[in-house]
Amino acid sequence: MKGTQLGEFEELVLLVVGVLFPEAYGLNIREEIINQTKRKVAIGAVHSALSRLDEKGFLESELAEGTHERGGRRKRLFKITASGKQALERNHELRNTLFNQIPEMALKIV
Amino acid sequence: MGLQPTYEPPRIAVKLLSLVCKNNLFEEIEGDLYEYYQCQREEKSKRMANLHYWFHMLNFIRPFAIKKLGQNSNTIIMYRSYFKFAWRGMLRQKLQTSFHLLGLIVAFCVCGFIYSHIKYESSYDSFLDNADDIYRVAWMSENPQTRTPHPMAQALVNDFPEVIDAVSISPIYGPGLTKTTIPLRNEKRDVGFNEANGYFADSTFFDVFSFKAVEGNADKALRKPFGIILSESMAKRYFGDEEAVGQTLSFMGNPDMLEVAAVIEDAPKNSHFHYNFLISYVTLKSLQFNDPWMSWDDFGHFNYLKLAPGADAKAFEAKIPDWAPKYLDWGAESLASLKAGDLKFELQPVQSIHLHSNIRWELEANGSYSYLLIYGISTLFILLISIINFVNLNTAKAAQRLKEVGVKKTLGAYKSQVFSQFIFEALFTTFLALVLSFVAMYMLEAPFNQLVNGNVSVADLYQTDVILLLLSITIVTALLSAIYPSLYLNSFEAGQILKGLKLSKLGGNNIRNGLLAVQLIAAIVMISGSLVIKHQITFLKEKDLGFKQDNLMVLEVDGYDLRTKLVKTELLKNSAVTGASAVSNIPGGQFNQHPIYAENNPSERVDASEMFVDDDVAEVLGLKVLEGRMLSKVYVADSAGRSFVLNQSAVNQLNLTDPIGKQLVWEDNENLVKGTIVGTVEDFHFRSLHEPIRPMIMLMQPLNSNFMLVKVNPTDLSQTVSKIEADYKEVIADGQFSYQFLDTEIQDLYKEESRTLTLITLLSAISILLACGGLLGIISIVIKQRVKEISIRKIMGASASQILWLMNFKYLLIAGVSLLIAVPVSVYFMKDWLSNFTYQIGIDPLAYVLTAVAVLFLIGFTITLISMKTVKSNPVNALRSE
Repeated sequence: MKGTQLGEFEELVLLVVGVLFPEAYGLNIREEIINQTKRKVAIGAVHSALSRLDEKGFLESELAEGTHERGGRRKRLFKITASGKQALERNHELRNTLFNQIPEMALKIV
Repeated sequence: MGLQPTYEPPRIAVKLLSLVCKNNLFEEIEGDLYEYYQCQREEKSKRMANLHYWFHMLNFIRPFAIKKLGQNSNTIIMYRSYFKFAWRGMLRQKLQTSFHLLGLIVAFCVCGFIYSHIKYESSYDSFLDNADDIYRVAWMSENPQTRTPHPMAQALVNDFPEVIDAVSISPIYGPGLTKTTIPLRNEKRDVGFNEANGYFADSTFFDVFSFKAVEGNADKALRKPFGIILSESMAKRYFGDEEAVGQTLSFMGNPDMLEVAAVIEDAPKNSHFHYNFLISYVTLKSLQFNDPWMSWDDFGHFNYLKLAPGADAKAFEAKIPDWAPKYLDWGAESLASLKAGDLKFELQPVQSIHLHSNIRWELEANGSYSYLLIYGISTLFILLISIINFVNLNTAKAAQRLKEVGVKKTLGAYKSQVFSQFIFEALFTTFLALVLSFVAMYMLEAPFNQLVNGNVSVADLYQTDVILLLLSITIVTALLSAIYPSLYLNSFEAGQILKGLKLSKLGGNNIRNGLLAVQLIAAIVMISGSLVIKHQITFLKEKDLGFKQDNLMVLEVDGYDLRTKLVKTELLKNSAVTGASAVSNIPGGQFNQHPIYAENNPSERVDASEMFVDDDVAEVLGLKVLEGRMLSKVYVADSAGRSFVLNQSAVNQLNLTDPIGKQLVWEDNENLVKGTIVGTVEDFHFRSLHEPIRPMIMLMQPLNSNFMLVKVNPTDLSQTVSKIEADYKEVIADGQFSYQFLDTEIQDLYKEESRTLTLITLLSAISILLACGGLLGIISIVIKQRVKEISIRKIMGASASQILWLMNFKYLLIAGVSLLIAVPVSVYFMKDWLSNFTYQIGIDPLAYVLTAVAVLFLIGFTITLISMKTVKSNPVNALRSE
């Protein structure tokens, strides 16, 4: 069984899948990431992350009907699963807890 | 909504993606890329869009997306099983497998070694820059020679634009044109040697020969008088690790006469000449050296030309006859024959000198093209025999695998799969052999070089062309051996095979027998050829040379040193020394020659090799005096060099009927020496047996001796040698004592022959062993197929000898046919080869009889050996099981 840790890029992809619900698939996930984070991302990288998330059980997917602009090929639409949601929440909580524990002094210096 | 036309992404990229991408991911990935491509095309140029498409496509080559070639892939499983089949098949029949492999390994090794040897021999002088444009000018007369006049080189540069550079060089010759050694000495460190391989050279030496300077400026070095250029290894001997340039060397006892002007790299091994040191002709000219040797009259120098790139050497050569008379001070008759082409200046490409030249006064012993040809052909024969073996055995073995094919087919194997299995197995074996042969070559490299005195280096084989050649031989062998069985066995229906196909139906016997005949022909040509070669070479080595060469020590002496005479007296006091004679040249060495003619008949001139001798030469060398007497100090005329002794050939060619007392003129360049013939000797082979005996003249010139021939008693040789050395040192304390034995010197003339003899014996032994081994393999399989037949015959009352005859008959017939074809081929080629020799023993029919008997016997023996077991076994055992 693979680990259920959420990598940084994986988390980003998972979040974007949520943002784009219900129309999240490889290409528009990439676009969204580029738009929101200004990071350069290859399509392959997104697919690779999606497949890892899928393996870990954080995502589920189904094939939608083919469209004309895809030359009739079907696309795979992704949805966050319950455990995906949990993982996001866990990460979110962990960050918040840790962030709140930082003494105010430390932040002021910066 | 009207559908917009879509853009097609680059087709190759899509195809590639479909090949590597997992099937279940392919659709979505390709879809995403497709959609992406549409966007890109809207915004950007087609090229940019394509580029992007490619970039993102290649970005998908990640572990998650590409097809797994892992353990569950069908392809991998199939090939692993093929591998297992091949491996188990090999283990099951260890004897056959090892024979398979051994045959191929031997053939590959022979190929590798001989290829490397041939490549080395034909690589001579190719290291020179512009090697293709460098030529040597040779003089082609009825007795062709390498040497031409000294001024010719520069005259050619001046008069012809196509000659860019030219250089004239000459070895430093001693009296009688013996390549002599020069005593050089570094006084400071007190090291001195008799230095061989010294050359005079024009200052243009480095324009033609691209040898690199290690120290100093080589270009300028040859312009200064009394400068000397050393080779790197020689500089090391005299100066150690010190800087050599600027230091001085003593030359023949003249202290510090020469200044080292530069040190250059040693000439590579595959150079047609090797120098230790170079001295400029400028030095000679500064000595007011007005010798005719430096003029147009003396054909005494080696002239090399560098032509303009792409210049036509033949066309240039054709211009020489019209040009040369400008300089040559010749009679009309000679000039006419130059024009007619009977006499000719020929341009020899420098790279062909080693293998193709071999004329008088070569700088070093050359190789021989005809021997290389023999090696090459033998190798091809061995390769052919070995490949045929492999193919034959593999096809014969296939019969045993009929059932396997049947089962495979029932289980659903495609024809192509059966086919690829056979190919795979054959490739597996041949590649294994290839790899093992490299291992074997590394192990055999040193012994092989030692055996044939060769320069083979396996490391040189790692070159694209060789590797490609070996790979293609390997693959072709595998394909040939696999095609027949896979096609033939594949052609049967699975059911038919499993029901019990009769093995006798399995064809291919005719092909196999044909191939067997080809093998035998190759082997027979090789064996009979090697026997003929062996005869000829033994003949050369054992032929009576007309003089005694045993127990003759050759001491190097300096004729100008008056103490040399004392050495002789001193040596003769030694009881182990039975004779001594100071001479200018030794048999087997090189001889100078000049024209001689009877005084009353000046038109009848012949070129005669000359040898300066003393009183005792006839006794020491065992020459037979035919008429008159040998030379002797007693006669004043003899000592003054005005009495001559001729050999029989000289007498014959001058048409002298009663030679003794006749006046003869010896034309030593401009110096006409008139004298009396006082004696004649029987012809003796003073040159190697590759050349006919030429006219010879002997006279006395006491200063001109280079060698002391010392006849010694062979018992307790080492003590005698050290005694002789002590005697020599007693007289000439500062001299270098160096000696050889005449018989080894003479053996050296036939080095190439000795090598050929060893190699050809080895190769022909390999060929017959391989051919017999192949036969052995085939017969053992054939016998297995005929066990029932033999058993039935036995039951019906056939005797063992009848059955053996039955088994043998067909193959002896094949051998007979092969003999009929091979013998004429061999005779033809060997006649051709023998015609290269001046002295030939001719083809001994016994060689062929011997070959025939040996081949027939070996075949009969092999077959009988294999069949014996079957013939002797109880027929019931073979017949009771069906």
